[in-house]
Amino acid sequence: MKRREFIKRSGIVIGASAASFLPNVGFAGKRVESMKLLTANASFDPVRPEMGRLITNACKGIGWDIELAAEDYNLGIQKVFKEFDFDMFIVRWTGRANRVDPETFTRMMFHEKGNYNKWGYNNATVNALTDAQQVEMDVQKRRRLIQDTQRILFEDAAASPIVHPSMTNAYREDRLSGLVPQLGEGIGSLWTDLNVSVNSGDGYVRTGQTSPLKNLNPVAVHDSNEFKELRMIYDRLIQVGPDGSIVPWAATSINAVDSTTVDITLRNGMKFHDGKPVTVEDVKFTFDYCLKWKAPFFVSSLEKFESVSITGSNTMRIKLVKPHAPLMINFFAQIFILPKHIWQDIPEKVDVDDVLNFANENPIGSGPFRFDYWDRGKELKVSANKDHFHAPKCAGIIRIAYGSHDAMAAAIEAGECDRTRYILKPSLVQDLNKINGIVGKGYASHGWYGFMFNHLRGPFKDRAFRTALDMVVPRDVIREVVMSGYATNGGSTIAPANEFWHNSSIKSRQHNIKKAREILQQAGYSWDGSDKLLYPS
Amino acid sequence: MLEYVIRRLIYMLITIFAVASILFVVFRLLPGEATLQVISPAMDDAVQDRMKAAFGLDKPLWQQYFIYLKNLVSLEWGRSFVSAQRVIDILQYRFWNTLLLMASGMCMTLVLGIGFGIIMAWKRNSSIDIGGTIAGLVFQAAPPFVTGLLLLMILSYRLGLFPTGGMYPAGQRPDGVLALLMMPAFWERIVLPTITVGLYYITTPMLIMRDNMLEVLGSDYIELAKAKGLKPSVVMFKHAARNALLGVVTLASIMVGFAIGGQVVVESLFSWPGMGQLMVESAASHDYPVAQGTFLMLAILVIGLNFLTDVWYCYLDPRIKISSTGLA
Repeated sequence: MKRREFIKRSGIVIGASAASFLPNVGFAGKRVESMKLLTANASFDPVRPEMGRLITNACKGIGWDIELAAEDYNLGIQKVFKEFDFDMFIVRWTGRANRVDPETFTRMMFHEKGNYNKWGYNNATVNALTDAQQVEMDVQKRRRLIQDTQRILFEDAAASPIVHPSMTNAYREDRLSGLVPQLGEGIGSLWTDLNVSVNSGDGYVRTGQTSPLKNLNPVAVHDSNEFKELRMIYDRLIQVGPDGSIVPWAATSINAVDSTTVDITLRNGMKFHDGKPVTVEDVKFTFDYCLKWKAPFFVSSLEKFESVSITGSNTMRIKLVKPHAPLMINFFAQIFILPKHIWQDIPEKVDVDDVLNFANENPIGSGPFRFDYWDRGKELKVSANKDHFHAPKCAGIIRIAYGSHDAMAAAIEAGECDRTRYILKPSLVQDLNKINGIVGKGYASHGWYGFMFNHLRGPFKDRAFRTALDMVVPRDVIREVVMSGYATNGGSTIAPANEFWHNSSIKSRQHNIKKAREILQQAGYSWDGSDKLLYPS
Repeated sequence: MLEYVIRRLIYMLITIFAVASILFVVFRLLPGEATLQVISPAMDDAVQDRMKAAFGLDKPLWQQYFIYLKNLVSLEWGRSFVSAQRVIDILQYRFWNTLLLMASGMCMTLVLGIGFGIIMAWKRNSSIDIGGTIAGLVFQAAPPFVTGLLLLMILSYRLGLFPTGGMYPAGQRPDGVLALLMMPAFWERIVLPTITVGLYYITTPMLIMRDNMLEVLGSDYIELAKAKGLKPSVVMFKHAARNALLGVVTLASIMVGFAIGGQVVVESLFSWPGMGQLMVESAASHDYPVAQGTFLMLAILVIGLNFLTDVWYCYLDPRIKISSTGLA
């Protein structure tokens, strides 16, 4: 089916479904009810309640009262993802490496059956387009499908991307050189770990982060912080490169023979840290093992495998049940190669009944860094594996957990910490940048702060209302005041920083209360004597 | 005496059982499911069920409760939902870190607090007494994060006299507690948190010691000691202070218990990986086994110290008689 024809047909479907989806039935002429805007509280993220306050205030401009509810993060997650009991919420979709692939910010979030889509968004065109991109193995064709999806999501105001925040980091310029920022990860990236040189001292890069490391089990891994540390110790088949492209790693090639057959060629001469060679047996074992134990992050991808077979001394073939384009970044660039000779005895010989309960206190991988020690709650130390095919230039990395952003900034100023791994509060980045020998900077990221609506409730069923609301968001103020300038205004769900997938024709809606009121008026909304918004009669 | 100790022991065990049960209920009453923190809500329901099964959360609550009690008795406190490490190992490590910090803080508190209390009582209504009382109340009223931040800002950030935090220099983990104690860098790092803790807790023992001293100083035997022509320092320390100490001993045991669990702010401020930090982390991430273990350990500590204090009190002051229902 041709692309245009496909979109046209989908349009017919949406036209038919729209008839049974008339907005605001039963509310005619009534005042638009007051609703709640849910955000995480300031102790979890100081930025979100501030954004919420500004949006809450701005909504008064269209005669609509909303209440800000800054709550415990966990409670908010429960309300949105488990109970579906919310009107609106503000969320930060972080620019994780795997989210460079557009699957998360399109299909997972806006497809009728998308795992993230708990806000009831259902647009037949978006459903069809995102289904099509998932099985489209031709990257250029997939790109066009994704760009069409973005346009429709924007026109339909499916969500309101507030800003695309930069990854705010700081480092000691007088100690480090050769840092390589990565899209979404800034200088906390693997590419910095590998390429950074230390100009003085013992050669170790003291890397600060405000959250302690939680787990070193590569099968139970699910948290982006854990991925960042485990990828130093364990190799992957491919890596996401600094610009978001795919870089061969343990696999010298991953070729799609056809849409359901993938051939992998493993790099020769690789060794685990205990001296044993890395073979295709280990890779096959990793797949089988993670499927058997239903490794949380990997199992859904592995269930798309029909078979895995070894075809040569360093080659293997994967047959898929059906084509699945996101597999490259969401799976091959994430899964860690396990040494079969160690993991085949786990959990049986380690006194746990489930591999998810295995602490993996002494991780042995084949990655560019060898594990030294993990002092729980304080620091992780790894040293360069000089035998690795991409041996690091530094002596190693010491990951230090700080109690707060302020403590981490002070440690950088005092010369006790060399760089930040993850986000540092924008105001502190500004302050640090004024000090000699320290660079504080915002790096490109494909994450975004989203103003999300419950499409099954009240006025959010109406596209005109959503569009007007998107126009109410005071993006310039949020960008400059709340984000200290370390952000760009939000428009598409795929950030401009993610250049390949981003639809550059989409421009952010300007904050314009007058225009928002006009849109509402054209859609039949009116205002009562106290300037409160009324549903169309 | 033995009968009293046994009876107190039984009461102690009943209290611990009650605390353990309350903790079990309280953590399950917290809003939000445990697995939401552990795994992304975007994962399939089947994956979330898989996680629940691994943690034993798929079982009915009453079954979870009995497994929990069984594990408590067998000292197998389970594994962390988050890190998969044994709860006992996590607690042990964090406990020693906090204990080191608290030991130094409490030493400072008790030595200086008792010392100042004695001097203030001896110099009653002098500028030392009035100044000491005001200073004590100010330190007690100032939250530790204010005192700590001020100390950090002045002595660390501005003057560079002390490191900003942590227990030892990055990358130089010592092998064991003894090696840690031998590191000069450790002592450099413990100074500021010790002063912060010390200043916060110093007021209570200082004022109690002062009041007890004043009471004792009015006694006949003190007058007699003075009349005998003994040196004032001998009267003050040997005769008065020793008798005034009893109240502070009782207080010290309770203070230590609370101080171990109450240092969330100091530990966060100085990046000190202790029990306080662990309490917050585990409660916030719904890591039930660790959260329960942390609070229970604290409860056992406080209950245990109270028990020891009662027994010790009984031993110290023979005037206290033991009735069939306890102390009389």
